[in-house]
Amino acid sequence: MTSRVPRRELLAYLIGAGVAGTILIGPYVLRAIAGEVYVPDRALPMAPIVVLPVVWGLWNLVWARRQPAIGVASWGAALGLGLACFINLTLAARGFWFRSALLTVPFLPLVYWLLWGFVVGPLNEALGVEGGVPAEIPRAGAR
Amino acid sequence: MAMLDVIRRGTPDPPHDLWPRLRARLEEQDDVVRLRIPSLGWTGVAALAAALATLWIVPDPLAFLAASGIL
Repeated sequence: MTSRVPRRELLAYLIGAGVAGTILIGPYVLRAIAGEVYVPDRALPMAPIVVLPVVWGLWNLVWARRQPAIGVASWGAALGLGLACFINLTLAARGFWFRSALLTVPFLPLVYWLLWGFVVGPLNEALGVEGGVPAEIPRAGAR
Repeated sequence: MAMLDVIRRGTPDPPHDLWPRLRARLEEQDDVVRLRIPSLGWTGVAALAAALATLWIVPDPLAFLAASGIL
C-alpha cells in the first residue's frame, strides 16, 4: 500500500512533533526530580501533555498547508492560547484548578511564541517547509 | 597452473575493506542544512521577560509550570 503525502507537510508534522517530543523531557524527567526535591509531600498538577507532539505536529502541518498571513511565531502563540484555555478547563473538570492557573492564558502564548519563533520556524525554513520549496533530500544512489 | 597464475594476476583483488567506500558514499550524500536562528530583538526580550516575570509572581511556580505542561 502506498500513499502520496506532500513532503513539505510530512516534514512539517515531523518538525512539530519532534520539537514537542524533545520538550517533553521537561515534564517527564525534570518534573520527577523537581517534585521529589522541592515538593515531596504533594503531587504536582498534571496537564494532558502526552498528546503535545501530535498537536504540535498537526498544527505545523496546517501551517505548511495553509501558509497563513501571520508569522510562524504568532501561529504557535495561537496554539499556546488554545492549549492554555484547554488546560484550565481540564484542571477545573478534574477539580485541580487553582487561581494562578489563569495566568497560563498569557504565559503559554508567550512561551510558545518564543519556541515557535526560535526553534520551529528556523527548522521549517531550513528544511523548506516555510518557503514552499521542498527540501532536497538525496536519495540512495543519487548523484 | 601457469594459466591460473595468469588469470589471478589479471584480475584485481576484491576490496576487502569496505569502510572507506561506505564513508565516501555517506559523505557524498551528506546534505548540509543551514539553520538561521533569528536575533532575539526587543520583542523576544520582552516576551522572555514577561514569561520570567509570570514565574516570579505566581505563588507556586512548580505547580504553575506543571499545570502549563512545561514541567
